[in-house]
Amino acid sequence: MTQRYDIAIVGSGPAALEAAINAKIRNKNIIIFGNKDFSGKLIKAPKINNYLGFYDIKGTELKNHFEEHIKNMGIQITEERIDSIYAMGEYFALMANQKQYEAKTIILAVGMEYGKQLKGEEGFLGRGVGYCATCDAPLYKGKSVTIIGYNKEAEEEANYVSELAAELHYIPMYKGEYDLNDKIQVINDKPIEIKGDEKVKKVIMENDSIDTDGVFILKDSIPPGQLVPGLEMEDEHIKVNKNMVTNIKGCFAAGDCTGKPYQYMKAAGEGQVAALSAVEYLSEI
Amino acid sequence: MVKELVGLNFKQEVIDADTTTVVDFWAPWCGPCRMLGPVIDELSQEIGDKANFFKINVDENNDIAQKYRISSIPCVIVFKGGQIVDTMVGFRPKQDMQNIISKHL
Ligand SMILES: Cc1cc2nc3c(=O)[nH]c(=O)nc-3n(C[C@H](O)[C@H](O)[C@H](O)COP(=O)(O)OP(=O)(O)OC[C@H]3O[C@@H](n4cnc5c(N)ncnc54)[C@H](O)[C@@H]3O)c2cc1C
Repeated sequence: MTQRYDIAIVGSGPAALEAAINAKIRNKNIIIFGNKDFSGKLIKAPKINNYLGFYDIKGTELKNHFEEHIKNMGIQITEERIDSIYAMGEYFALMANQKQYEAKTIILAVGMEYGKQLKGEEGFLGRGVGYCATCDAPLYKGKSVTIIGYNKEAEEEANYVSELAAELHYIPMYKGEYDLNDKIQVINDKPIEIKGDEKVKKVIMENDSIDTDGVFILKDSIPPGQLVPGLEMEDEHIKVNKNMVTNIKGCFAAGDCTGKPYQYMKAAGEGQVAALSAVEYLSEI
Repeated sequence: MVKELVGLNFKQEVIDADTTTVVDFWAPWCGPCRMLGPVIDELSQEIGDKANFFKINVDENNDIAQKYRISSIPCVIVFKGGQIVDTMVGFRPKQDMQNIISKHL
């Protein structure tokens, strides 16, 4: 059987790390997902003057302090990107590539890095708009599909979908060589809006438009509402109360993903509150 | 209990049913569907006789999937008196599903 953690922390920025150390102090069995750099925003900061205790410090230096801190507490980052999280009732199932992790509670500390949505994107979600082409491809057998790809990995999905769809349009949102099969029609134009009636009908671009039955939007990072189906958002942020509790039982959130101001201290403070709320919740279930 | 439904008995079991009927449109290749399966199972146990639960494989019942315009799965449709009273697209937490289905019991 898979191990069921007390707390799974998604993200590795200041909010996540602060949550991790507090959960560890309270003796919880935790797992934290993220990357070696902790946060792209941390290592990019040229100079930080508003982090109490550190005056005039570079982002990379602060990162080293964070690293030292978690190392001393025996916390290790699991370098894995979580693709989706399912609230199963008693527990959460976290999916990373083909792997599955389980935890009784989760803390979302994913930052804010997901670009703007297209006009119509949200409204047609599930009615022709999707975020996982390989998941829904068989439903588009013999139909016309458009993929808006933000990275190289999207090409692989496009190749797969093209075997099922009658026609496939690929709109690359990056420059480079495209490794796509001949059936796929590459369109170099900027998508602006998704249109239709009760279902998707068209993608409107700057210079042209395409008739299509389905649109898949494939990006690097996933908006929290898609990462955790059923999670309540408030504009582009996760809705939390002052205890960092979301609308889903056992799911907490902290840092930039919960709203402004986007600052290290706020992120860390929220991470701490989220961890303590998770600990309290664990003692009640 | 969640019963497997095939096209042939759809009208009889869903459209003509006296009770609220919950139909889970799924397919074996769909990851979120596999996650939702056990959640629906649990709900059917908890809700008991007040609603009938079915799952329908969209690969094997393309005509019904087309008829109900299923463009993303999992998709759970709640029927009452032969009419659609609620549609849930994508995975939903158990709590949400429970709240939505309870409204129609
Ligand atoms: C150039 C720059 C300078 C800044 N200077 C300052 C400053 O001087 N003072 C200040 O207070 N603030 C500053 N900020 C803002 C600060 O960086 C952010 O407020 C802070 O990093 C937010 O922390 P966070 O933990 O919420 O998220 P982030 O730091 O964004 O960390 C989130 C991490 O989680 C990872 N992640 C996301 N989704 C997943 C997933 N599904 N699975 C696994 N991992 C995931 C991300 O890749 C990222 O590494 C600056 C920002 C920038 C860009």
